[in-house]
Amino acid sequence: MTKGHAQFGSAGNSYFGAYGVTYSIGSRTLLDAVSFEMDAGEILALLGPNGAGKSSLLKILAGILPIQSVGRSKIAARIRLRGDEVHQLSQGGRARAITYVGPELRVEFPITAYEGVMMGRLCHHPDLFFSFSSADKFAVQNAMERCFCWNLRDQDLHTLSGGEKQLVALARAIAQESRVLLLDEALSKMDLHHQARIGELLRELAKEGRSIILVSHDVNLAAEWSDTAVLLHQGTTRAQGPIANVMTEANFKTIYPGAKLSVGKNPFTGAPQVFFGG
Amino acid sequence: METRKVFRPYVIAIGCWVLSFILALKLGSVSDVDFSVVTALRLPRAILATAVGMALAIAGASLQALFSNPLCEPYTLGISSGSALGAVIGFSLGLQWMVSGLALTAFIGAIIFMGILYFFSRRTDTGSGNLSLLLIGVMLGFLGSSMVALCLAVTDSQGLQGIMSWLLGDLSRARLAGSSLSLVSVLLLSFAVWNHRKDLDALLMGEETAVTLGVNVNHARRRIIFLSAMLIAVSVSAAGMIGFVGLVVPHFVRKMVGSLHQKMIPLCAIWGATVLVLADMAARVVARPFELPVGAVTAVIGAPFCLWVIARRRTVE
Repeated sequence: MTKGHAQFGSAGNSYFGAYGVTYSIGSRTLLDAVSFEMDAGEILALLGPNGAGKSSLLKILAGILPIQSVGRSKIAARIRLRGDEVHQLSQGGRARAITYVGPELRVEFPITAYEGVMMGRLCHHPDLFFSFSSADKFAVQNAMERCFCWNLRDQDLHTLSGGEKQLVALARAIAQESRVLLLDEALSKMDLHHQARIGELLRELAKEGRSIILVSHDVNLAAEWSDTAVLLHQGTTRAQGPIANVMTEANFKTIYPGAKLSVGKNPFTGAPQVFFGG
Repeated sequence: METRKVFRPYVIAIGCWVLSFILALKLGSVSDVDFSVVTALRLPRAILATAVGMALAIAGASLQALFSNPLCEPYTLGISSGSALGAVIGFSLGLQWMVSGLALTAFIGAIIFMGILYFFSRRTDTGSGNLSLLLIGVMLGFLGSSMVALCLAVTDSQGLQGIMSWLLGDLSRARLAGSSLSLVSVLLLSFAVWNHRKDLDALLMGEETAVTLGVNVNHARRRIIFLSAMLIAVSVSAAGMIGFVGLVVPHFVRKMVGSLHQKMIPLCAIWGATVLVLADMAARVVARPFELPVGAVTAVIGAPFCLWVIARRRTVE
């Protein structure tokens, strides 16, 4: 498989899909007609070296980089969720459909973790005059408990460590109850214990029918949890499909020429793993 | 019991404002005065101080959320001096005879300076916690203030006195009708800012997160910039540049009730009013029979405070 857009020339009927995502600044092309589709309950890993366009792709899907041409920067894409064009949704509707968690939660003001997670409920209240209902409070408590940060609820976000902030940011996204979850290095600062538990949580969320896209510099971690993968290199799709078909030595040799890497299997879970050497 | 707890901060704040207002009417450069002095001089002044204090505190709070930077306020970002420049140009053109003519040119000055600031903040890495945004603000402040001084030196017959009252803030030009008009417009504008409380809350988490929380960031940003510029214009055209109220008041209100704007905006309004009424009273009373410029009083307290906030943030990092 080379360029995905040939495969998905016409927007398909899948649950969530992006078609012909193209991003250029001046003469430099960051993303060149990247396309993929995924089902409800699927976890997709976006793999690729630094500068491959993974974060840009997620930001375009999230609406942080809007689909428009301004000056030298041009972005084009079609993003569909359950047959609807995402860009036609209202801002709140979009937040209920797709949410994004970035690598870092930087808050300069005194906000408690609870208040931060409660922000995820804002998109469920389009009216200006509202108060958070018991359903909102339940969703927040549930999300914080699932992310192991309910005990931090009264703490100021300032005072939390990087990993704790990431737990809170993830809880916010879960409380938002969006159907698609985009995670950009959102677990990078967690300790091993939390990474393992959050991995299980992502599996549970997928079982509940949410689609999750994962960007992680830790390929082995991503491989452990994902069903499918898209391998990006210099803004184009190099491979896509089930994770075991994407994480192959042949693929890694083409994108990391000269690196001594070999691909094996995790003896316990059977997931593909990359090893140094070989 | 619960309701009592909810209303307590408001009751305390309003109580303090009422007290400061009464004190401001009572105290002055002369102690035994008749009723006419109080109504003709002190009352308009206290009303104007209320309006301007409110406007500055709310403008400060919304700029801080907008730029995700707790050191932002109209004065430190140089927007006040852009507004003062606009007002002085309007003054030189003789627009002070028009109802809110100065406020209009002050608004144009504020919005232009805010545009410049915004342009540069996008070009450079002025993300949260970054001090380069403040450097741009300081430069804009210099630019505006010196142009105010130049304009007045060339056109104003009052010379230095006029320059001082624009650059350091001066509430002595208050008249009852004008002050009341300022107060009404500030109240309306404050309500409009309060209507954006959801957007402001989401912006506290940073722009990227605000987008994913369902806020139309571009729309919210335009509205907030417009409303803050209006608030700054109303206060600067009536009272000149008064610094640091917009920095200190939101900081303490956040300490009291947290950062969510549902509560924070109204409390900033009341505490901003209280602080400026007290500062103006101090300016009149401390060195009587001389009167100190109120902007100098707020700066003497506010500038060290600003340094303290910067020092504390560094140690936290």
